[in-house]
Formats: sequence, C-alpha cells, structure tokens
Amino acid sequence: MLQPRLLAPLRVLERALVPVFRSSQQPLSSPSIFFPRTLSAPTTTSLLNKRFPSLSQVRYASHASQGTANRHSRDPAGKRLGAKRAGGEYVVPGCIIFRQRGTKWFAGENCAMGRDHTIYAAEAGYVRYYLDPEQHSDRKYIGIVFEKEGKLPAPRNAPSRRRLNRVAVPRAPVVPETDAAQSDLVANLEDGTMVSSVEAVNADTGAQLRPGYMYREANWQIGRAGDKAGITAIPYNRNNRWLAWRKRQARADRAAQMKSLKNKKKASKKAKGGR
Amino acid sequence: MAHCERASKPLLQCLQRTCTKGLPSLQVQSARTFQTTALAREEAQTEAKTQSFYKSPDPSLVSSPRLERRMLRQGISPIGSRRRRAALQDSANIPFEQLPYQCFQEARKVLLGDREEKLKQISTMSEKISRLEAVPTEEAGGEQAKKSKLRAMELHLDHLKILADSNDPLVKKKFEDGQGDMSKPIYRFLADRKWREYRRKILVQRITQMNVVPDVLPHCEPVVDTKLYFGRNAIQLGEFVNASASAMVPKLDIQLFDRDEKLVTIAVVDPDVPNVEKDGFDYKMHYLAVNVPISATSTKVDLSKLSTESQEILPWLPPVAQKGSPYHRLSLFILEQKDSKPLDFAAVKAKETDRDNTLLRTLQARYHLKPIGAHLFRTKWDETTEEVMRQIGFPEADMELRRKRVEPLPYKRRNPSTFR
Repeated sequence: MLQPRLLAPLRVLERALVPVFRSSQQPLSSPSIFFPRTLSAPTTTSLLNKRFPSLSQVRYASHASQGTANRHSRDPAGKRLGAKRAGGEYVVPGCIIFRQRGTKWFAGENCAMGRDHTIYAAEAGYVRYYLDPEQHSDRKYIGIVFEKEGKLPAPRNAPSRRRLNRVAVPRAPVVPETDAAQSDLVANLEDGTMVSSVEAVNADTGAQLRPGYMYREANWQIGRAGDKAGITAIPYNRNNRWLAWRKRQARADRAAQMKSLKNKKKASKKAKGGR
Repeated sequence: MAHCERASKPLLQCLQRTCTKGLPSLQVQSARTFQTTALAREEAQTEAKTQSFYKSPDPSLVSSPRLERRMLRQGISPIGSRRRRAALQDSANIPFEQLPYQCFQEARKVLLGDREEKLKQISTMSEKISRLEAVPTEEAGGEQAKKSKLRAMELHLDHLKILADSNDPLVKKKFEDGQGDMSKPIYRFLADRKWREYRRKILVQRITQMNVVPDVLPHCEPVVDTKLYFGRNAIQLGEFVNASASAMVPKLDIQLFDRDEKLVTIAVVDPDVPNVEKDGFDYKMHYLAVNVPISATSTKVDLSKLSTESQEILPWLPPVAQKGSPYHRLSLFILEQKDSKPLDFAAVKAKETDRDNTLLRTLQARYHLKPIGAHLFRTKWDETTEEVMRQIGFPEADMELRRKRVEPLPYKRRNPSTFR
C-alpha cells in the first residue's frame, strides 16, 4: 500500500507528466477526466509502475523484518549493580553497601560516596535506608547508625552522634632527621653482607656497588656535585625582561627551525612521490 | 595608570579644567563651565608643595597599590574605595551643591523635596506617638493593645527616619568612609545591610557546614556582627589558630544594629573533646561571662578586662588539641539575656563551676538566653601545643591518639551452589 505522505510528491510528478500524456493519448482530451480530484491511489500507482518500476517498492517496519536472530548476543553483561547490604545489616568502614550508576541513592550519615557513586560505610554500624525530607525533598539516603535499634533521619537540631574511633597511646618523641637518613637506595649493611655474589660496602664513602651492579656515587651525592664545585646559578629575577626576551626569542627561533626542517622533509617526500 | 584612574578620567578632566583653583575660580569661570581648554592647570602645578606626596601620602587621596601597602604597613588604612580616592586626587573638593552639572542639581532638588516630605511625616508620626502615650491605658483599649500600637508606630518612625536619609549622598559618603555615626538609624541600617550581604552569609554557612549549630545549640539566627581578635590578628571564621596564639585572651568586636543597649552572655564552647572511654566526644566550656553590656556605639569587648566580680564566671582556658585528635571547633556564642535584665552573678557563679559537663543548651534553658551572634575558630595539634599544654597543666599531655583498628567482617560464602 502506498502511504498518503508519498502522494504529494507523486502529484507533482503527475503534473509534470500531464503534457506527455496529452501528446501521447489524443482521445482523452481533458486532463480533469484523466486526473480527477478524487484520484484513487491504485490506478495512479499502477500507471506509474509501468513507467517507474522502482517507486512503489517501499518496505515498512510493520512488516516482518529480517535479522536480529542473535539480538541477545549484543546485550552487555550485567554489571552486578544494586544493594550489597540490606537495611539493618552490620557493616565495617569501607564495606560496600550499594553499587549504582549515577546517584540513585545518596550517602547519608556515616556513609560516603565513591568515585563511581558507590555508597560505602565510613563507620561500623547498622545500615539504614531512609528519606530525609528536611534535607532534600526527593533524595533517598543510605546511612549508618551505631545501635541496632537506631533511627534515621536524626532530628534536625539534635547534636550529631559521632564516634572517636581512637585509642590513647604514649606519644612517641619526634626524632630529628639525620644526614644518614638522606642516603638513598643503599642500606647500612654490616660487613660481609653479599648482594648476589658481590660484597656490599658501607654507604658513606665514595663509589660503591649500587643497584644495577654499578660502582658509582649515591644519587644524592651526584646531585650535590654542583655545590661541591662551587657553581652557583644566577637567581631568577622576574623583572629582568631582557633575559626573558632573549630566552623567548631563542625558543621561538628553535621552534621556527624545527618547523622549517619538518616542512623540508615533507616537501622532499612530495617531490619524490611526484617523480 | 590604574584602572580606577582611567575610569574616572572623563569626569575628572571636566572638573580639573573648571575647578582647579577651587571655589573662587568656579565663580569667575561660571560662564565657560564646560569648556575643554585647560585654563589654570599650569598655574596650580607651579604652586610648590611643601613635601612630596610620596613621602607622606594622604590616606584619603592615595590610589597606587604600592603606596597603599606602605601606608598599611605604617598602620594607616586608606579611606574609601580606590576609585574614589583616585577621583579625589585631581578634583578640588567641591561640595555637592556647587557641582556644575545641571541634571545632577535637578536630581538633587527632587531628592531634597522627598526628604522634606519624609521629615514632615516624621514630625506628624512623633506627635501621634506622644499623643497616644498621653492617652490613659483604659481609653486606648487595654495595656496590650496600647503597647503593640506604640511599638508599631515606633517601628514606622524608624523606617521613616531611614527613608529620609537614605538618598543623601553625604550620608553614603560618610558611611563608605567609615565615619558613620552608629547612634543614627540610617548608619545602623546601612551597616546591617552591608553585613547581611556578605559576612552574615559566611557566618551562617560556616556554623551550619561545620555542624556547630546542631552540636552546640539547636538554633542560631545571628543578628549582631561579631569579630574575634587574638592580639591584633583578626580571626576569620573557622580559621585554624595556633595554640600559642589562642593562649591569650581574645578580644571581641560586637556590632549591634539595634538602638537599644543589650546585656549579653558570652560563652566559648568546644564540642570536640575526645573521650576515649566513651568512644565519643565531650563538651568543654572555655569561657563564660554574663551581664556584658553591648550597644551599637560601644562595640569593643575585651574578654580579659571583664570584671571578675560581676561578669566573668569561667576565665579563659587556652584551647589545646591532643595529638591525633580530630580538629576542635571552638565556637563562641553571644546570647541575649531575657529583657536585657542582669543575671544574679553570685548565683550563676556558684552554680556554673564545672567546665566539663556544662552544655550550652542547658544554660540556655536555665537562664532564658537567646543566641544573637556567633563566631568560630579551630585548633589542632601543632608545634606550640606542647608548650601551652605544659603551661595550663593539661593532664594527658604525653598521650597521643591513634586510629583504632576495626575488625573486618568474617568472610562468608553465600549460597555457593548457585555460583556454579
């Protein structure tokens, strides 16, 4: 069946064809008889089909369509979202309570939201799923209460219930940092310790066997080479615009040079291709 | 050239050319007011100044940031906005009445007419009030009705007073220069509006976000502007303060925006004292004083100078935070006493002796207090805390708090048959 939306362009087509018909079919003199106002679609199509066979072959979705036999193969695997802990269950800090895409649930009291909106426990306690219309009219929250019979949301003006979660221990005295702590990658070993069949030596003096089986100084000593040699860099002065200009100019020159080299390479390649 | 200078340039050019020599020249040159040719500019410059401006800058004229900084270092703060100061630099300080803008003068006339009208209304209103006061209570419809009527009329009178002055450019100038007289309703109104525009919002946000309001008191609608100083340093709301800095007694600047004088109670409460046995937190009262008078004009309250015989109940206790404890919120509350009546100092002093287990909620209920202002700062363990702990004899000075290990949940395999 031809749908009505296809009729309008067809009418245009017919109008264009009228002179052709006139010339070919003499006995039908008036076009109003040949194309009456209440034109029945089948006659037009049958007429047109003879001349343009491709026009009527339109397939619609209401007809049975082929393919998609293995549609379920395209469905992704389930992501195992949803509640991992029910209301009232005991959880410890870090315990995942709800996995979700987006924020179906929000982190309420003593809970936190992870990077992928996962709700997890920040305190040990019992899980509560609740609404808090005073805080937000249509958000659902997951919270944790400390007592088995505790209730959420807590009254708005009640002092918040918190836990210390800490123990008191004697304070360790602060040890001032010594130079020995700075040496990197070398342990202070007793004599006779073997590092894969090579004897390790004490860290303090000169070149020694380092990781990578190289006899060299420690990295921090190499880093201080400038200090030892008494080399001092000119302190950076941001008001020295002359120096800044020279540096910028040098950088621009370098960039221009590199660019020109690149262009040359391309140009030469092109030239080769042309030959 | 600073932005402000550039912005005020067109106005200034006109002023300079017309009024370089001040008022006499204005009268002489009134015929050629808006000429663009410079007349007496050079003459003015030839008048040698006794001392360079850069040697001794004027706080009402300085506009370059460098000079401003130098002045601030000397302890003089520049007056008004920088744009205004830049504009003042090059203008002879002509009064508004003599400014040569016709439109401006016409607009001023309209404002002055409005003011006249408001003044008339004020006089009629005050007459009405005095008449009502003279009427005996029975005729006025009872005690309550008369009182409420009078109250409404007084409020309306205050409103009229504000309206009368609110369009006065001189009032605006004075307020911006910080010379406003807080005994007048218009300056109190302007100060209140300025406070509510920014500082009050910050205060409310901090005390709610840091949970001071449900933790220490159930509600607080601040109506006074409170500033807190340790020595000369103003403390921002919620700032971390070194233990050594907060060891000295703070000073307060409580700006009231009401006409009446009030008697207030000042309390500093720490709701974060760790209690290891309870596995929770305790409260501690760090300061308590009652019967402190504040008014719109006298704003400074030095907590160290309140009298120990009639005001100070619990002296200042320097706040310290044990190492490893979560930060302590030191919240200061200004509580209005009921009907501004003084509390019985001796009775309060006898009753409130315990710092540790006194909740501010209890005090509020016991003495009918109403919170009208708040401030907040925080402390945590720092390098000076140990010293302060030693000075005040803190009992657990050599202990630190460590995180308690939480036992993980036992591994439970759920219904394994369905997993295969």
